[in-house]
Amino acid sequence: MKLAKYGLVLYIFLALPPVANLLESIMIVHMHMQMPLLVASGFLMAGFFQLKFPNFLEKWNSNGIPGIILFVIIWSYWMLPRAMDEAITLQVVELFKFISLPFLAGVPLRDSWKKLSSIGKDIVYLYFIIMFIVMAWIYIGSESQLCNNYLLVEQKTLGWGSLAIAACMIIYLLQLIFIDQSEFE
Amino acid sequence: MTKNRRTMISVTLILLFGFVLFYQGTDGFRAFTQESARTYELLKNKPEFPSVTLQDSNNRTYTFEEFSEGKYVFITFMYTNCGTVCPQLEKNMSEVYDLIPSEYIGEDIVFLSISFDPTRDDPETLTKYRSYFGSDGETWRMARINNQEEQDKLLERLGVVVIPDGQGNFQHNSAFYLIGQQGHLLEMMDYTKIIKASDTVISYLNNKVED
Repeated sequence: MKLAKYGLVLYIFLALPPVANLLESIMIVHMHMQMPLLVASGFLMAGFFQLKFPNFLEKWNSNGIPGIILFVIIWSYWMLPRAMDEAITLQVVELFKFISLPFLAGVPLRDSWKKLSSIGKDIVYLYFIIMFIVMAWIYIGSESQLCNNYLLVEQKTLGWGSLAIAACMIIYLLQLIFIDQSEFE
Repeated sequence: MTKNRRTMISVTLILLFGFVLFYQGTDGFRAFTQESARTYELLKNKPEFPSVTLQDSNNRTYTFEEFSEGKYVFITFMYTNCGTVCPQLEKNMSEVYDLIPSEYIGEDIVFLSISFDPTRDDPETLTKYRSYFGSDGETWRMARINNQEEQDKLLERLGVVVIPDGQGNFQHNSAFYLIGQQGHLLEMMDYTKIIKASDTVISYLNNKVED
C-alpha cells in the first residue's frame, strides 16, 4: 500500500503542468522518461487495484496474457510519431496519455508479468528489443521530420537513445547466457 | 465459464481495442505522422487561401487576390538564409516552371515563392535570391508578408510549420502547393518529385478543371 501511495505521488507530480511541459519540451525526455515514468507510476499503484479487484484480475487476466497484450499495445501506440505530436497539440490525446500509460500499461504490466510463463516473458522481452531497434532505425535514418513539434536533431537523439536501450537489453540477455547466475544467488 | 474461455474473451476484446486505437490514431492506417495526417486533412478540406498582402522583390505591394486574378498559383514557402532544403526546393520549383508549357505561364498559372522570414528577406535580398533560380519576377515572383498576423494565419491554414532554431534558422516542412482558380488549396505535392508535380499541374491546366 505504501508503494501505491508513492505511485500516486509520482503520478500527480508528473501531471503538474510545469513538469509535464518541461518533460515534453525535449523529445527524448518525452518518450524515454515521461512515458516510462507514467508506466512506473501505474506499476506502483497497481497494488491498490490488485487489493481492490482481486477477483476481476484473477478472472480475466488469469495467465497474464491479456494484460501483457494490453501493455504492449498501449506502449506501441505511444511510439507512433503522430501520437507524440498530438499529445502536445491536442488536449484529448494528452489526457489519453495520462490515463492509458499508467492504468492501461503500468497496472496490467504489474499484474501480468508474474503470471506469465517464461516463454511469454521471453517473447515480450524480444519484442521490445526488436521494437527499439526498429525505432532507432526509423528515427535516425529518416531524413524528414517525423514530428512537427521537434527538431530533426532531437529526432536523431531519440533514435540513438532507443538504440542504447536496445543495446542494454541485449547485453543483459548475453550476461544471462554467459554468466553463471547461481554464483549470485 | 472456464478460465480459458475468459482469457480468450479478454484477449479478443483487448485486440479489438488495440485495432480501434491504432485505426483511430492513424486515420485508418493512412497517417502515422502528424505531417501526413495534416496533408490528408488539408486535401480533404481544401482550405481557402487567406487574404494576405504581399511585398515582392520589385518592391510592389498587392494582395494575393490581385496577384492571382483567377489563375492557378503554384506556391512554395522558404527563407533566403536557408542553407539546406530551400535552395533545393526553389531549384525544383524552377524545373517545374520550365516543364509547364510556356503558353500557360502567366496566362493560366503564376508562380510564387513566399518567404516566412520577413525581417531579413527585404526586396533587395529577394531580388538577389530570385536571380539564382531564374525567376523572372513577374510570372514567378518572390515575396514576403509584412503583417505577422497575416503570415501566421496563412502558414497555419496551409499547414506550414516553422520552428525557429534560435540561431537565425528555421526548421520547416516543405512542399509544392497548388492553389486553384477560386483560391482554394488543390494539391500539396512532394517537392522532390518534379515530374509528378508538373504532370499534376499540367493536367489541371489542360482540363481547366473547375475547383
